[in-house]
Amino acid sequence: MIDYVDLMGFGPKGWGPLMLQATLMTVAVSATAFALGSGVGALIAWARIEGHSLLQLAADAYTTVLRGIPDLLVIYLLYFGGSAALTALAHALGAKGFVGVDAFAAGAIAVGIISGAYQSEIFRGAYQAIARGELEAARAVGMSRWLMFRRIIVPQALRFAIPGLGNVWQLALKESALISVVGLTELLRQAQVGAGSTRQPFAFFITAAALYLVLSTLSGWGFRRAEAVGMRGVRRS
Amino acid sequence: MKLWKIFAAGLVASLFAAAGASAQPKDWSTIKIATEGAYKPWNFTDSSGKLIGFEIDLAEDLCKRMKARCEIVAQAFDGVIPALNAGKFDAIMAGMNITDKRKEAIAFTQTYGRTPSTFAVLKSNALAKLPDAGKVYSLNPDGVVAAEKSLNDLKPLLKGKVIGVQTSTAQANFLEKYFKDVIEIRQYKTTEQHDLDLAAGRVDAVFASISYLKSVVEAPENKEMMLAGPRYGGGALGFGVAVGLRKTDPELLAKFDAAVGAAVADGTVKTLSMKWFGFDITPVR
Repeated sequence: MIDYVDLMGFGPKGWGPLMLQATLMTVAVSATAFALGSGVGALIAWARIEGHSLLQLAADAYTTVLRGIPDLLVIYLLYFGGSAALTALAHALGAKGFVGVDAFAAGAIAVGIISGAYQSEIFRGAYQAIARGELEAARAVGMSRWLMFRRIIVPQALRFAIPGLGNVWQLALKESALISVVGLTELLRQAQVGAGSTRQPFAFFITAAALYLVLSTLSGWGFRRAEAVGMRGVRRS
Repeated sequence: MKLWKIFAAGLVASLFAAAGASAQPKDWSTIKIATEGAYKPWNFTDSSGKLIGFEIDLAEDLCKRMKARCEIVAQAFDGVIPALNAGKFDAIMAGMNITDKRKEAIAFTQTYGRTPSTFAVLKSNALAKLPDAGKVYSLNPDGVVAAEKSLNDLKPLLKGKVIGVQTSTAQANFLEKYFKDVIEIRQYKTTEQHDLDLAAGRVDAVFASISYLKSVVEAPENKEMMLAGPRYGGGALGFGVAVGLRKTDPELLAKFDAAVGAAVADGTVKTLSMKWFGFDITPVR
């Protein structure tokens, strides 16, 4: 037990600071991915609800493909394939040398576009939960589409979306561990490095598990609070 | 309408941010070297996050010889070759053995270390009594007959056993090539994962480089583990550890090759090897 405290502590031989730093990296990359996913998800949901048939087809294909292939594969494609593609593009434009995709960016985009596929379904469901009469009323009073979106759709759709978004956030948090394969020093990669460097795999993997649990517990609480605030004007039957 | 423009603009901006251009001049005054950072004592990390180990010291020495400024980065081992070819860095020094399979994908310098591979088992396991303990066999043309005889002798003893090995390593290829039909090969992402399963009794033995296994069985928490059976090197197990480079960079290969040769010749490799391994891993020429 004393050994463990020394190993994971903040003393000269302790890995505490590195593990905490890696935890922050996990939060940063998950949050970036989730935010990106919200943007993509909103766009896809819009395409499926309002778009032309061609756009709807494209949006359908997007959600089907990205929910259907392994996340790790998306990460590999973006990190290795992305570099190769950008390098080829740079060469075509006359530049020399290699163009790299940064591990953080590749990871955040990969998890983000996957998260976007899931979020689009949540947004679409939330939009459809809005009473049709409210939309008709908004049109009847002459609201522009943007004003209707801002005043009528967003406040209500978000309220319905919060529980689903909470789930998708937990997914993003855990998927961020996959980014360890491209060398980003997030929590799992740091635990593997520590395990390989000290020959104490148990201590590192247990600590990483505990830190993931702290993150998901805290954010779960946050989403429940958000739901309570969002639903404060709604009477539950 | 406006809204989707904002999203599209954000998406395009983030894609461009991702393309942080790292186009380099090709005079090799700066070199980016990748290592694993979790393979003690070849290359690992201390509690302040600094990379240390045999290959880190050696890389610094080689860079001095090449009059280059080097940056060493940590990268997961299973993606290291595609990442090299995708241009993430210029060289690999990650305890990587030269094998015929790897030579199809990348170029190697001459070797700077050669360590045979062997089995580690629990002292209570029947495999602890494998014959020829500690004897070294070479799978290179000069010793391959004796080595293959020894491998055939091992087959009945290993029949039906479960053996753990790190995935995409020379050791994994070796097991596939010689024991595929008699044992169950279980592949792991990292070596410490198969150690955990060895300790738990989920595998009968693990097969890895002796430079690594030696420090495992000597660790106080692994008192019940030991090395067993003969040791093998060369052939499918690789012709030694070397610097891996892209095939499209012959000038860099020539520079690294000369630097490695000089470091082996003047005893630098031996000094560093004694410091980190406690024994000499200098390749015999």
